[in-house]
Amino acid sequence: MLIGLDVGGTYTDAVLIDHGEVIEKIKIPTKPEGLLESLLSALDPLLQAAGGREIQRIVLSTTLITNLIATNTVDPVALVLIPGPGLNPGSYKFKATQSYILSGAIDYRGREIEPLKENEIKACLEAIKKEGIKRVAIVGKFSQRNNSHEQAVASYFASHAPELQIIMGHQVTGRLNFPRRAVTTLLTLATREKFENFYKQVLQVLKERGITAPLYILKADGGTLPFTQSLTKPVETIFSGPAASTLGVLALTPKGQTSVVLDIGGTTTDLALILSGKPLLASRGAKINNDYTQVRAFATKSVALGGDSILCVKNNSLEILPQREGPAYCLGGPQPTPTDAMRVAALTEIGDERRAYECMKRLGADLNLSPKETADLVLKQMVKKIAQEIDDMFLSWEQEPAYRIWEILQKQKIRPQNVVGIGGAAPAVLPLLGEEMGCRALAPPHAEVANAIGAALAKVNLRLSFHFDTERNFYFIEENGVQEKLPIPILSEDQAKDFCFTRLRQEGQKLGISSDEELELVYSEVFNMVRGWRTTGKLYDICVQFPTGIMENWLEERKDQCAE
Amino acid sequence: MPNKTGLVFFPAFDWAITPTHPEREERLLYTRDQLFEEGIMDLPEVVEYKPRLATYKDIARVHFCVPDIKAQVTEAHLIAAGGALVLADALMKKEIDNGFALVRPPGHHSMRVVHGNRGFCNIHNEAIMIEYLRKHYGLKKIAIVDTDVHHGDGTQDVYWHDPDVLFISFHQDGRTLYPGSGFADELGGPTAFGTTINIPLLPHTTDEGIHYVLDNLVLPILEDFQPDLIVNSAGQDNHYTDPLANMRFTAHGYALLNEKLKPDLAVLEGGYAIETALPYVNTGIILAMAGLDYSCVREPDYRPENFKESPEHMDYIKDLIAYLHEVWKNREALAEQRQRRTGGYYERRRTVYYDTDNIREQQEEKVKLCAKCPGYQVIRSRGLYPTRTERTVLAVALPWQACSECQEEARSVYQEYINNPRGLDFVYLQDKPRDTYLQYSVSGRSEMQL
Ligand SMILES: [Zn+2]
Ligand SMILES: [Zn+2]
Repeated sequence: MLIGLDVGGTYTDAVLIDHGEVIEKIKIPTKPEGLLESLLSALDPLLQAAGGREIQRIVLSTTLITNLIATNTVDPVALVLIPGPGLNPGSYKFKATQSYILSGAIDYRGREIEPLKENEIKACLEAIKKEGIKRVAIVGKFSQRNNSHEQAVASYFASHAPELQIIMGHQVTGRLNFPRRAVTTLLTLATREKFENFYKQVLQVLKERGITAPLYILKADGGTLPFTQSLTKPVETIFSGPAASTLGVLALTPKGQTSVVLDIGGTTTDLALILSGKPLLASRGAKINNDYTQVRAFATKSVALGGDSILCVKNNSLEILPQREGPAYCLGGPQPTPTDAMRVAALTEIGDERRAYECMKRLGADLNLSPKETADLVLKQMVKKIAQEIDDMFLSWEQEPAYRIWEILQKQKIRPQNVVGIGGAAPAVLPLLGEEMGCRALAPPHAEVANAIGAALAKVNLRLSFHFDTERNFYFIEENGVQEKLPIPILSEDQAKDFCFTRLRQEGQKLGISSDEELELVYSEVFNMVRGWRTTGKLYDICVQFPTGIMENWLEERKDQCAE
Repeated sequence: MPNKTGLVFFPAFDWAITPTHPEREERLLYTRDQLFEEGIMDLPEVVEYKPRLATYKDIARVHFCVPDIKAQVTEAHLIAAGGALVLADALMKKEIDNGFALVRPPGHHSMRVVHGNRGFCNIHNEAIMIEYLRKHYGLKKIAIVDTDVHHGDGTQDVYWHDPDVLFISFHQDGRTLYPGSGFADELGGPTAFGTTINIPLLPHTTDEGIHYVLDNLVLPILEDFQPDLIVNSAGQDNHYTDPLANMRFTAHGYALLNEKLKPDLAVLEGGYAIETALPYVNTGIILAMAGLDYSCVREPDYRPENFKESPEHMDYIKDLIAYLHEVWKNREALAEQRQRRTGGYYERRRTVYYDTDNIREQQEEKVKLCAKCPGYQVIRSRGLYPTRTERTVLAVALPWQACSECQEEARSVYQEYINNPRGLDFVYLQDKPRDTYLQYSVSGRSEMQL
């Protein structure tokens, strides 16, 4: 049996799944007292329903990191940058408690082009100590190609101030993008301790309940990790809620199709895309609290339009305003809303029908429309707006930059086969939206807990991006900061790929990924290094992964149930 | 509102002339690494665009391709040119304040008639962009400043007879570098005399010398010309580490140049110091165009004191500037004289060498001299290929500005050659007033229209 739990901002959802069946589902408002209480209130009924049968794993998705960052209750961190040539480092606006800039530079090939200055390192440490900051993030430009500067500064700090908690940029992420690496490293250290405390509390309460099932946590890229493994980079668990919903839709719709995930809430409509069975990722990483990071996350879009948006008439035309002033009029709120329109159009049964008519009548008076006509107009406008936003999302995916001829030629216009509704108000407008977009409208069973289903079924994923420089005889792994001499000579692309796959299997084993899980080649590129007219070496960029997805046996068992 | 700089980055990581050629996959690899590591694309001042494919018609507005466009361009060429078009559109729609098409393959050695690849170029990205802007947005006066170390002989050829396009190229002296042209007395055809300005510089000219030329000649002439659009034909091979040339320009010099020049659109041309120059020069240009501080962009071995000019170089530069100022001031009178001297038609003969493809081209060009307009041109071109085969084509080029008589006359010239195509393989008509491009195949007895 599998348990999936998503402690969201408004609701906590949980499911118990057995052999492709949802045995029990829970939806309760998230308790203001805290995540742990909410988690337990949802977990306990599931445990009861399980009745002592074996639970294979529990997957948790929480807003812990999101909350820490949103409420600015992260821990203070000093940021030490080694930027080298390029942008003026004075222009960076990182949200560190204090920032320091050191001399020294590494280039794109990982060669030192300017040495560190020991007196600066010393002065920097003095300043940090004087500020009383206990955590230090050290981030160098191109440290993923050569971490010796980060290492040198870190070891100086560690030996002169052993009380400091130190993190280095190359340990967190090796993707090209120094500012994003700085932000991501900063957030990683700033959330680590609080995340660890939460982890200990969860373990404690599970222990009290005698649960021995392995505990996993969901990440923003839709993969799960054993909870213990997430302690090093807790920031990856941000935005796991939307990821859970998207995975849930992946589990509840036919395999391999292209779908829009639609979640209409009170104030916003959240959108995500699944392209031929693969959730779309934000191309360079998630934006957290207005900062760009390298956290891999699904591409989501939030539109300021929901069931509680205010309706009004301006210059003889109906407008849906982006703000909310309370619940729908039919639920005792102050203003007419799309929910009132749905009530009048008989698409929902919530709220007071009389009040819904009353506000639609008032709204329609200026337009010379009956309440019913007014409601229809509201819905039509709402659906048009959502359809437009969906179209824009596909369009911006098509417009994502590409750097190779084949990518530019290959990316064709695609549009969704399904629009899948999961939020509260979604089912009401779904058929209209399907009609507007010319695709199927699906409101699958258990859609209201799709997020918990997604969490329960998410696979452990792992991606490793290798960079080989045969001239320097080095290889690098972006995700875990490995920088080593090549143990064997790499003489061909196939040999390089084999090397990557072997390494992926090894790393996968550490996470408990079974050896018969499918591997995937994400990309492979070879560049000849030519100096003069001679080839002096090759650069290989190869990325391999255990992809994000839904546990296969669920899909097998559900094959017949998927509504066509 | 911050400045918005549009950027198309198309490194064509899957295209090369040959695996070890300077124009190969690796060329913009380290530039990519530097730009991505800097997080340039995340800056609020930078908007990244995806290139599109230019159409054959976009190309036919500039070139006569022999035997046809398909034979001369690969998809990479269409995307590089299309990248420039994407930025042109974004600029006209005011989505951006300026734009840099960081694309390859380059184009500034491509002339109007194209028999093959010259100087790593097949089609002319900037000219395709400019003609597109003229057609779709009605721009008239354009200035192109070629900052590549090589003379932009393709650009010069395309706009030699166009008085509304000012072409300024500074480059290493043609006596010491490919393509061996671009001398100070190459000043444009009789109908466009003085709107081609060549500034050949001595080998080893530095930041100081080039900026002196910029401040004292290029910028004043631009100010005087008042163009609707300034294009930087942005080569980076003036750099002091470039393996194919001998100048001493720096990343800082290039950035400062763009800050002063304020190009509306820049398009990458050459630059083959792929490790020591390009990552820094490109970062510098983008920051300068975006109005950001580029003072921290520097090559690892950069020392400002190494880029001062020698007195002999300065004397040479000052003398050259004085001469060109004189020409610029008197260009209208000089044009008048030339037209009178040559009468009803102006003719020139020349040979063009295609280094990459080892083709020789013999060209005879006839320009109609008209009192009301810049006239039209008839080009007879014979390409001698390394396979010991040859093709002869006749091309009629009818510019945007042509008066109605010239338009009629040019169209009837094309008809006459079709009716009597003696010794020709193809006949072309580039009819810009109608935005119609015709190619007649003599052996196939068929006409293609774009
Ligand atoms: Zn050049
Ligand atoms: Zn005329």
